[in-house]
Amino acid sequence: MKTYILHRLLGTIPLLLVISFLAFMVIQLSPSDPAEVAVRVNEIVPTEEVLELTREKLGLNKPFLTRYVDWISSAVQGDLGRRYVDDKPVAQELAKALPPTLWLAAVATIITAVCSIGMAFICARYESRPVDYLLRGLIFLGTAVPGFWAGLLLMWLFAVKLDWLPTSGMNSAYSVILPAITLSLTYTATYARLLRNSMVRNKQSNYVLFARARGLYPGTIWRHIFRNSLQSTLTGLGMSLPKLMAGTFVVETIFAWPGLGWLCVTSIFNRDFPVIQAYVLLMAVLFVGFNLLMDILCAAIDPRMRNGSQQ
Amino acid sequence: MSYASTKDIRNINPHLYSGEMAAQNMVFEPLVINTTEGVKPWLAESWEISPDGKEYTFHLRKGVHFTDGAPFNAEAVKLNMDAIVANKPRHAWLDMVNLIDRNEVIDEHTFKLVMKHPYYPTLVELGLVRPFRFISPNCFVNGQTKDGVSGYAGTGPWVLTEHKDKQYALFTTNKNYWGTMPKLDTVRWRVMPDHQTIMLALQKGEIDLLFGSDGDMLNLDAFNALQKEGKYVTAISAPVASRAILLNAHQPVTEEKAVREALQYAVNKQAIAEGVLNGTESVADTLISPTVHYCDLGLPARHYDPAKAAELLDAAGWKTGEDGWRYKDGKKAVVRLYYNSQNAQERTIGEYMQSDLKKIGIEMKIIGEEKQAFLDRQKTGDFELQYSLSWGTPYDPQSYLSSWRIPAHGDYQAQVGLERKEWLDKAITELMIEPTEDARKKMYRDILTYIHDEGVYIPLTYSRTKAVHSKALQGVGFGASQYEIPFETMYFQNSTR
Repeated sequence: MKTYILHRLLGTIPLLLVISFLAFMVIQLSPSDPAEVAVRVNEIVPTEEVLELTREKLGLNKPFLTRYVDWISSAVQGDLGRRYVDDKPVAQELAKALPPTLWLAAVATIITAVCSIGMAFICARYESRPVDYLLRGLIFLGTAVPGFWAGLLLMWLFAVKLDWLPTSGMNSAYSVILPAITLSLTYTATYARLLRNSMVRNKQSNYVLFARARGLYPGTIWRHIFRNSLQSTLTGLGMSLPKLMAGTFVVETIFAWPGLGWLCVTSIFNRDFPVIQAYVLLMAVLFVGFNLLMDILCAAIDPRMRNGSQQ
Repeated sequence: MSYASTKDIRNINPHLYSGEMAAQNMVFEPLVINTTEGVKPWLAESWEISPDGKEYTFHLRKGVHFTDGAPFNAEAVKLNMDAIVANKPRHAWLDMVNLIDRNEVIDEHTFKLVMKHPYYPTLVELGLVRPFRFISPNCFVNGQTKDGVSGYAGTGPWVLTEHKDKQYALFTTNKNYWGTMPKLDTVRWRVMPDHQTIMLALQKGEIDLLFGSDGDMLNLDAFNALQKEGKYVTAISAPVASRAILLNAHQPVTEEKAVREALQYAVNKQAIAEGVLNGTESVADTLISPTVHYCDLGLPARHYDPAKAAELLDAAGWKTGEDGWRYKDGKKAVVRLYYNSQNAQERTIGEYMQSDLKKIGIEMKIIGEEKQAFLDRQKTGDFELQYSLSWGTPYDPQSYLSSWRIPAHGDYQAQVGLERKEWLDKAITELMIEPTEDARKKMYRDILTYIHDEGVYIPLTYSRTKAVHSKALQGVGFGASQYEIPFETMYFQNSTR
């Protein structure tokens, strides 16, 4: 197992290097001159003199590869450069924006888990009955509705009309509810469908038939069905945390949630390259990290995977 | 009182440009202020200008303190002015910073500003929101302000007491304010990046005021919807800035004066003012409103007249082809209009113009670009038509004209194809240091007449600042510039809130 983990860990290094290089390169390909962007974002008129000073300050007069090596070697040490907008360290800004996004993603994951399991269970239990159709219709709607629209509708209903919750911001414990629900909508719909289908399939397997024949309690049988159906969705759910974190752009903007998504959107509009690069790198690390974690977990559960990878 | 903005106040260092101007204006004050009646005393009670126009002696208001207790005196003024001058490259847009020779302390309450040349907009520019405002010298870092400040102690009516990045900023009344005390105790500046969210928050009563110019804070549709609803008070300022279309005299089709002139007659501004801007803005006949000082020149208006436009094009050799479009020497009349895609209003205006131009056989392509790409394009001059919005009073006309000389601006790029561009730039440079009023009037007349005759701008409308607020909030007015929000005059009718 140890060699497997080590093997996989080492494997992520070149992958992350490639991703970071691509991120760096793609941003360099942008037609905007970074020095000019850095100057303009502070509403300074970009004269040649200022541009020259800025280029020197930001190290933009060095060759491309030197800049990449400089950037990645400082990034490994936790220094992600400075923002163009206000010259603050990028790492510090990301660290400030990470907790709100993590909090939002965590609550959304819980809502996703509870709702999708609950809905899948009901659908599978009452398969092909009206309630199954109704829920499946809702699930379909949930997948189809765009996040920004659903968010605004929820805000209108719960904040303005019913006056139960604040519209936006992160001022009270209740503030997280609306954005988390909005964020979880699509995921809930996806996982509920996945789990429902898996449960319906399992329901028809032989072990259920035998269990019935043995006269087990229906509750016990359903527990078995549920556990056997979970496996396929578990990997998906595990990956949903980084996915949720990367998908908060719209929700954070609508709900004025001071997290990573909002930071990234403003940075894109401002062409704040150091932040965008760092964001891409962070997301790559998260995705690769969670993927690795899930693989290791699966390998721990199922030894066949370990052997397979070592051959 | 809660005010919603799509932007955080960010860094409100008064000598830099990264913060929100309205917030800088709350905390920091200038020596003089710009009003609709011209420049008025503020932290300076009076001043004298030497006969050669180079020395300004200011008599400072006594008994004024920064909110950290430091006295506001000539020494503080000098330190601030020196700190601004020490960061010259950052103020390149403002000629005045380059023209400051030295700052002198005469006595405790007398400060002298010495210029290298006489510079006529000196007083107006001293009253701008930035950079000539005063922060306590205790907030300086290493004797300077260019690399940041350690606090925001100003002399203004408000104190920034709390700031949560990207969430809110809380301003409370400066208890020791020297002037008229604000009537509100606090102003909460809430950050909401989405316009729809701001609307819903207003309906819920979470915020009391929306304030902004040119679709910044609220678009016109929303403004009208709120106006109709009758639950809120909507207000519109007097015209503040010029909305125009820049015609690039350095591009194949628009380089011809006849084409530019034809375009002036082809665009139905009235339809745009009524159809797109819902009658909230008045039609512009000249680039800068005649209400602006030096700009009431009686220049001939070019009213909507598609027949005349067609005539001009015919005379210039642009003949209508079989497909309905005009051609000259096998070249089709195609122009591209670029706009900032974040501004929905600009697209609609573009569509109105597209149909106007089609009527006279010119094909117009409308291309929306993200703000930075839009600015990049300004610099390269790769456009026939582009939006141009002046900075408004008190920047107009002097700062606006001054910016025409900077190659990174679209104005420069559009004008560079003009025969007398060199003269134009020189005239603007000379204008700024012309000490006599009559000579200045003549120079403005020459410059603006030339620009008008050459038709490098299609003036559309004069834009206005808009405000929407709850009925309980009273005293909402407009400052001299569209970037200031006069919070200090606002109050709640019944003190229940």
